[in-house]
Amino acid sequence: MAILLVPACILILGLLVGPLCLMFRISLNELGPTQLMVEALSADNYVRAATDPYYQQIVLTTLGVALLCTAITLVIAFPAAYWLGRVENRWKSVVLIATLFPLLVGNVVRSAGWMALLDRDGLINWGLARLGLIAHPLQLMYTPKAVVFGIIAVVLPYMIITVSSVIESIPLQLEEAAANLGASPIVVFRRVVLPLALPGVAAGCTLVFVLCMNTYATAVLLGGPRFKMMAPAVYDQFIRSNNWPMGAALAFILLLFTMAFTVLGSLGFARRYGKVPRGPSERLAPA
Amino acid sequence: MAKLTVERLKKQFGTSIAVDELTLEVAQGEMVALLGPSGCGKTTTLRMIAGFVAPTSGRMLLGGNDITRVPPHVRETGLVFQSYALFPHMTVAENVGFGLEMRGVSRAQRGPLIAEALGLVRLSHLADRFPKQMSGGQQQRVALARALAISPKLFLLDEPLSNLDAKLRAEVRTEIRSLQQRLGLTTLIVTHDREEALTMADRLVVMEGGRVRQVGSARELYEEPRDAFVAEFVGRCNLLPATREDDERVRTRGGLLLSSRRRADESSSASTLAIRPERIAIEPGHHAEIKGQLEAVTYLGAHTEYQVLLGESERVVVTRPTPVRDDPMLSVRTNDPVSLTWDTEAPRLIPETAKD
Repeated sequence: MAILLVPACILILGLLVGPLCLMFRISLNELGPTQLMVEALSADNYVRAATDPYYQQIVLTTLGVALLCTAITLVIAFPAAYWLGRVENRWKSVVLIATLFPLLVGNVVRSAGWMALLDRDGLINWGLARLGLIAHPLQLMYTPKAVVFGIIAVVLPYMIITVSSVIESIPLQLEEAAANLGASPIVVFRRVVLPLALPGVAAGCTLVFVLCMNTYATAVLLGGPRFKMMAPAVYDQFIRSNNWPMGAALAFILLLFTMAFTVLGSLGFARRYGKVPRGPSERLAPA
Repeated sequence: MAKLTVERLKKQFGTSIAVDELTLEVAQGEMVALLGPSGCGKTTTLRMIAGFVAPTSGRMLLGGNDITRVPPHVRETGLVFQSYALFPHMTVAENVGFGLEMRGVSRAQRGPLIAEALGLVRLSHLADRFPKQMSGGQQQRVALARALAISPKLFLLDEPLSNLDAKLRAEVRTEIRSLQQRLGLTTLIVTHDREEALTMADRLVVMEGGRVRQVGSARELYEEPRDAFVAEFVGRCNLLPATREDDERVRTRGGLLLSSRRRADESSSASTLAIRPERIAIEPGHHAEIKGQLEAVTYLGAHTEYQVLLGESERVVVTRPTPVRDDPMLSVRTNDPVSLTWDTEAPRLIPETAKD
């Protein structure tokens, strides 16, 4: 049966692990004065990325944006996810499709739409000016806020879907039992729903954080040339500056942070209490 | 503990009526069973009493206080769920202590109360386990302890035994009943299992289609069912469509005249002759008044069941202790002639469906 894994393994080894090894080797090379790349074995690029304020800023901005976006996304997604995980009527599938719909729109297309909305001549400025609320157009584009909101719009569905599936797996009877024992709705949430939803919250946050860290199109299109996040910086080093070693080093730093948070996410919430006891076929729904 | 009064409670989901004008009383220290087939409204009734379903109309009083619009977490009922609904992320002790914690009982004071509740269900030694580390029977007892720990005004049991195997079921049944009597718990149990209801409850409420069909003790329901539904639901019963011929006899649809003394309370709409299989005597040959032909014999160990054809098309089932030694019934074979006799007081002529 293991033979079934072969095609996927070949693809992953050949197109992911291989190039990554290659890139790690490149990251240890140096940028020469006359040649683009000089064979070397030095950690210079990593040292520079860690000490040069320019690169420090990029790393910090990226981490900050990713953490902020993840936190806001969680707060926005949880109520919707709870609703989706609990409700049982025809609206559920409608909302589910509506939630997934944004994923059908590519990031570039979506960001272009945001540009039309937020630009100096965009819909919002036009509307506000027509209403006489502003004399001069507001600077909405090319701000960190625009990037944060843009990213949240992209990653929200992932968080909602991940968290709602874990909510769905928490029997409603547990909430009823807690209420029966005297817990108010807030206490039920804090003592029963949230602890049991933590694995899903952790998975959702990890997924969303990774997506945020690697944001490219949204950062470039809504953040503008001066707003630097890591994925665009990697691209710049490779394509604009032709500095492959530095680009490779940045890429690895990005990978490192992403993986570190993934591991943290899965370790931090790895507590397991075993299977939730399930009732038999007769449900507690109106009999 | 307090008295529960339910007055004309009604619940409508869209156009379907789940519970229709249900009136019910559970006296202090009494155990009442809501008994009925699935979909009869018994679970919805329980959920309205616990506060999880808002009634469409009617009201509920617990210990004299109107609880109809009181949110579930301040109702002071102790509910044991069919699925037990133990908190999987808490130990047994934390589960049992949860209700006390919600009532602001300090950690130090909770200890002895938790120990006492676990002692009631003989689980003191498993206080530090998580629910998933326990058997179904043990989880069930934790659920009982958790509900009892808060000293509820009303003890509610939702199909508490349906997830247990047959042997354990009999054991837990006795245990719940003795706890209920010892602690004087005002208890409402919902079940579709008539044996469970008959053996545990002081009074039974038979429900069907959202309505109460009959309320009474196990003996009353079994021996004086108001209608054919109740007669059949609380135990095996022969039901033959029939009309009153005279004070001593009825005529079946098939034209047979069968003895059945008229009762003072007999309904004019009575159209079904009900007689329990064990109230009929059977003998070989055609020497008695009611003559038939043996169609099938089923050996059930202690009892044997005989299916007898009367006249053209009417069948009755007779049960009796399995014949031994030189009992003449031992030699009776399928298709042999047999005769039936019964006490003229044994059968009842009752309506198909009793009207209020």
